[in-house]
Amino acid sequence: MAVTVRVPGSLKEWFRGSDEAYCQGATLGECIDQMDREFPGIRDRLLNEEGEIGAILIFLNGENVMKLEGLATSISDGDEIGIIPFAAGG
Amino acid sequence: MIIDDPRSKFVFLYHPLVLMGRSYTVYQGKEMTNGEVLEYWGKWLVLGEKGRLDDLAEKLDPYVENKEIPCIKYDRKPPLNLGLEECVMMVYCDRRNRDEVWKILTRFGIKMKAWVTERETMEMWMPGGILLERWMASQDYDEATRDAVREDAGRRLVHIFDHPEETYKTWEQ
Repeated sequence: MAVTVRVPGSLKEWFRGSDEAYCQGATLGECIDQMDREFPGIRDRLLNEEGEIGAILIFLNGENVMKLEGLATSISDGDEIGIIPFAAGG
Repeated sequence: MIIDDPRSKFVFLYHPLVLMGRSYTVYQGKEMTNGEVLEYWGKWLVLGEKGRLDDLAEKLDPYVENKEIPCIKYDRKPPLNLGLEECVMMVYCDRRNRDEVWKILTRFGIKMKAWVTERETMEMWMPGGILLERWMASQDYDEATRDAVREDAGRRLVHIFDHPEETYKTWEQ
């Protein structure tokens, strides 16, 4: 199940200089775990100490995942995940 | 038209009628109420360097002129005090029209799809909201000033939530 992950230029360093990456998983949480194996440290950047979505906004096909099911949000083949700094939402 | 006034921290794109007092929070020709704005109004976010957003603004201006896009604003410089290293462009529209507006953005190479509702933004700037608190911390205000800012934010924003039947009014930025 291939899912595209996009980030703005300021976060490219998270993905070794690319603004686009790919991940797999049945849920957003699984996708983050899989990304963390390929890009160590991503999980800590995306989630807080409680393991919840923290100082960033995550979108699935444009929709804030906090309005869906958070980390339990189901992911389908061809979906797109967007990640931006939290403050950009204001 | 592009309103690039250095006194504002934002560059705006409005239809000329907005400068003559016409609201841009309009759906099917009718001005929206506070309740409708909270339910339907929002924006697509585009992050990038100022020059890139300037170029994009030039390309999007015709769509504002023909009213396909109601309003756009973007940062004059990255809001570093909020922890952002890039400028943010906000392409406003009604949720019920957002797919059409997204198609316009994709014509100019925008790929990352991020929709934020006006309700979410207002909640971030309410008293105790994460962005209001972060912004005040960056200003190094004393506690009395912070309380005054919270009170002002509360007066403006809580009113919108408490009076859903009133016509929505924006304020100067």
